[in-house]
Amino acid sequence: MDLKNLTITQIQELLFSKKITAVEIVNFYLERIKKIDSQIKAFITVTEKEALKKAKVIDEKIKKGESVGKLAGAVMAVKDIFLTKDIKSTASSQVLKGYIPQYSSTVYQKLIDEDAIIIGKTNTDPFAFGGSTENSGFFTTKNPWNLSKVPGGSSGGSAAAVAADLCQFALGTDTGGSIRQPASLCGISGLKPTYGLNSRFGITAMASSFDCPGVFAKNIADLALVTQITAGVDSKDATTVDNPVPDYSKLLKDVNLKGLKIGLPKEYFSDPINSEVKDKVMLAAKEFEKKGATLVDISLPSTNLGIAVYYVLVPSEISANMARYDGIRFGQNTGNNPDIISYYMNTRGKYMEAEVKRRIIIGTYALSSGYYDAYYTKASKVRTLIKNEFVDALKNVDIILAPVSPTTAWDIGAKANDPLQMYLADAFSVCINVAGIPSVALPCGFDSQNLPIGFQLIGNFFEESKILSVAHQYQQFTDYHLKETPLSRGDARRAEGF
Amino acid sequence: MSEPKISMVDLEHIAKLARINLTESEKTIFLPQLESVLEYLDVLNQVNTDNVEPTFRVNDQKNVLRDDLIKDSFDQKTALSSASKTQDGYFVVPGTIKK
Repeated sequence: MDLKNLTITQIQELLFSKKITAVEIVNFYLERIKKIDSQIKAFITVTEKEALKKAKVIDEKIKKGESVGKLAGAVMAVKDIFLTKDIKSTASSQVLKGYIPQYSSTVYQKLIDEDAIIIGKTNTDPFAFGGSTENSGFFTTKNPWNLSKVPGGSSGGSAAAVAADLCQFALGTDTGGSIRQPASLCGISGLKPTYGLNSRFGITAMASSFDCPGVFAKNIADLALVTQITAGVDSKDATTVDNPVPDYSKLLKDVNLKGLKIGLPKEYFSDPINSEVKDKVMLAAKEFEKKGATLVDISLPSTNLGIAVYYVLVPSEISANMARYDGIRFGQNTGNNPDIISYYMNTRGKYMEAEVKRRIIIGTYALSSGYYDAYYTKASKVRTLIKNEFVDALKNVDIILAPVSPTTAWDIGAKANDPLQMYLADAFSVCINVAGIPSVALPCGFDSQNLPIGFQLIGNFFEESKILSVAHQYQQFTDYHLKETPLSRGDARRAEGF
Repeated sequence: MSEPKISMVDLEHIAKLARINLTESEKTIFLPQLESVLEYLDVLNQVNTDNVEPTFRVNDQKNVLRDDLIKDSFDQKTALSSASKTQDGYFVVPGTIKK
């Protein structure tokens, strides 16, 4: 049975009506992973044993007529920065090579408690530092639409796994675009929730005031279903907010596009945007207009400051968070050293990837004596300006529509030696993180090289229901989210760009 | 040309503060990369932020408290299970003070 392009709910209907077993579902994905993941390299670890074991338990429960969790039969891939008890969690860094955590991240635990099945851990830039997976301490993931292109990042392995139908949904994190950008570059959907909706507990910390765990899937209905489970207050993460979690799935239909005011920020439709991306995203806006929405030109004048704010504050928080990797309590180390300082310096020098070192050094510089006010305090004030612009704009429009990435997927290696160029690729995604508001990315077409283009719908704090329902409506009258990658169709030659 | 933002001496000092040993070739590669990033960050200095309060957190959560209750946590064996070197139920670290 072909499970590609079925929603989780549709697969569960097959499971509960006994047309398919959970073991058969798992085997469908395991066979696909065995067949094509050697080309894509989305997975660092494939958890075949755990997946089959869990599937058998679910099948047994269904056979006996016992109740099962809300995500029974849903097969997920998990970004390797989420700790998964007894399953290797490397954060795609040599620092944590071989690390087997003693506990699980809250978000992952909530999902397996509802009988979701983990099929593997996915590649990312190390500790999520990057936008292409090229910084990974192990290997680069390839874009399933064209194997010579990056999948985006940092959650590139999760995005590629969903795009190539190697799982039904995947977990990622979005600190500056790391869910939305790879979703856009891989032609799938991804939700960066409001900061504080999903718990950060048990995820290797990057920038604590920015990090947002979230979900990738082929369609918005699946994002709603999974976010329903992941969301909510967690006593282990004091920044999670104690709001009741809305019924996202039920609310998907609860939107009227007629009269919906959609803001188009002019800064997101100008330089450095590629013209093909601009045209397709404008076309998406026009499709909403045809359904009765009103398009409103708006301005977010501080957009051009987003990257600078981000690359002061995020490395600063990184430099503090990365201090824990001392090679003593966990992680690789350099063995015998004459004293503790050389132990730290040699261990961190040997195992941290170049981008990890660069960001720690930028952050340490920005926070160091004499520079703190010029960088950290200044950037924190500009952060206020960016946040206020979004909040003010969303008083006059219901939702904001913008491209996710200025370009489609680029060639592997093209930006690898120029960190600043890599940072600038985040121009349209970082401000949303600076502000802390939610945004959902979804596909809206292809460029002339058949590479996916995505757009994002941005809402005010905790307006996940609104942005998901508008995005869901878009997927009711378009079929971009149903397109299969050349690899999914078994057409390897096209995927190689011939 | 304006003054460089970061010299080799600065880089070596910062790397030491961050407890990262850099090789000579890493230093040579990183220095111009860091210079160009720091130059880019100058755009912030052109923004007027008089009377603007800094944002350190994006939601209004503050002083989240909990009851001071004893709860189950890792036993000693589990807590030490990822360490490279342990002895008698402790983490082993290189000497922190000279003999």
